[in-house]
Amino acid sequence: MCFGLALPIDAVPEEWVERYPHRVATREPEATRELRFTFRDPQAELPVWHGHRLELVAWGNRDDRASRLPRTGWCRQESLEAGRWTWLEPEMVEIPAALGLEKGVWFLITEGIRGVLVRDEHARPRVYMLTQPASRYYQIMTRHDRMPVLLGQQI
Amino acid sequence: MARHIGHLDADCFYVSCERVRHRFLRGQAVGVLSNQGACVIAKSYELKTRGVTTGMPIWDALPLCPEAIFVKRDFRWYEVLSRRIYDAVCRFSPTVEYYSIDEVFFDAQAMTHTEALALQNHVLQAAGVPTSVGVAPSKILAKLASSSEKPFGCVVAVEPEAVARLLRGRPVDKITGVGRRSSRKLERHRIRTCEDFVRADRRLIRRLLTKRGEDLWWELNGTSVLPLHATRTPHKNLSRGGSLGGPTADPDRVTAWVARNAERLVEALDYHDVYCERLLLSLVFKPGGGVLRSASLWPTADFHELYTAGARMLAACWNGQVVAYMHLIAGKLTARRDVQRCLWDKPDPRHQAIRHVKHLINTQVGRFALRSGATLPLGDIYRDTTNSYDICDIYGKTCF
Repeated sequence: MCFGLALPIDAVPEEWVERYPHRVATREPEATRELRFTFRDPQAELPVWHGHRLELVAWGNRDDRASRLPRTGWCRQESLEAGRWTWLEPEMVEIPAALGLEKGVWFLITEGIRGVLVRDEHARPRVYMLTQPASRYYQIMTRHDRMPVLLGQQI
Repeated sequence: MARHIGHLDADCFYVSCERVRHRFLRGQAVGVLSNQGACVIAKSYELKTRGVTTGMPIWDALPLCPEAIFVKRDFRWYEVLSRRIYDAVCRFSPTVEYYSIDEVFFDAQAMTHTEALALQNHVLQAAGVPTSVGVAPSKILAKLASSSEKPFGCVVAVEPEAVARLLRGRPVDKITGVGRRSSRKLERHRIRTCEDFVRADRRLIRRLLTKRGEDLWWELNGTSVLPLHATRTPHKNLSRGGSLGGPTADPDRVTAWVARNAERLVEALDYHDVYCERLLLSLVFKPGGGVLRSASLWPTADFHELYTAGARMLAACWNGQVVAYMHLIAGKLTARRDVQRCLWDKPDPRHQAIRHVKHLINTQVGRFALRSGATLPLGDIYRDTTNSYDICDIYGKTCF
């Protein structure tokens, strides 16, 4: 799967750095700062290209028991194709990312990840990361049997 | 005019290549992973300082540097930048040896330190890759010089005092060609540093390390005996193969790997314009052991003949063990112009026609766009396009 992602600060709107200081992280003293988004964040959110704008959208449905939305942050491509999400009228979106995180491994993402955007009972948008069976390479690298559907990239 | 040898070595080359196209990786601890995604094959200096070594499995590297960023290797991209480096050096020197994907030797003539710095900056501008440069009276000294101040070092050691400084206190295993076994032999004679090595008796070095060791002795003493090779000397063998993308005992998959390796071998034979008269099949089993078989052939570079011979050897030597690695090695290579074809049976015109069509399509559409049906069980391998290019597909290097 992909438990989190990161974007360099020059890839996000400037005001995000001030608005979300808890998301800003630096790996090395000389390296570019980045914004991190993980499913475990107090407020799980993902950057999403939506309507030609980069927005922060709530990541799936982690703990809203009352909601009708699936209580996860990921959408299996197989179940999407089988029509099990059709009732939610999912909209395909792009989640920009420079790095992905899985089981403690940060790996390079060249463009981003495919996602599906659905709306809850109050018409609030929620994004789910699209996943597929992991390639052997990804499985060895992260020890996970699912991987995100990447944009223009094979891992 | 004194003629010196230059050595230009890219600093953490694979990582630097990734940094060219992903600026975000600059200054980060980066590890480039092997074909299977298991081992670190290249590391940035930031990762190196955490104790991560080349060949270390990712699960061992992670605790040492949890903030490390791992990248899948892409030899096609690395070759693009490698050729740019070579072209950039050619602008500074009349004779350049493409030693390996990240190293070149060149005729430095009477290059000064300022000129060496200019070369280094030119390469940085042209390829975006930082390099270290060494200039010295011989190849081995030049290589020692370039590695002495990495990264982004520039050392011109042509005067005797500068050469002496370069050798002083430097462990003997820093000499290219002196490995662990050679170091142990030298240690028994208290030869521990490069300085000890050059002061040692030449005949003793020859006795301990054969002629190759004696060449190193001359080179380190400032006498150039290893020539620059502007073109690669002809191969004695050509090999294609490696890991099977995960150990397998599936007969269809193992046979399909014979076909894949035979197709890759045909490409190499075509590139070098040679026929082979011997084919070797090497299998390495998991957890251990292996077999090696060979077959004699008429001079050929034909896929059908190589695949048939490979499959026959496989049937004769493989009893269903789990295979981890396979190599097909073409031996007894002869330049095609030297083979009198009329002595042998005429090639099957159907195979010739298929070969021609395959070549045409793959040249225009892309490598492996048209491939043998025997490779069908390897759909997963072909779907991942990064598997279609490996380091051995980069031709012209003199090192291997």
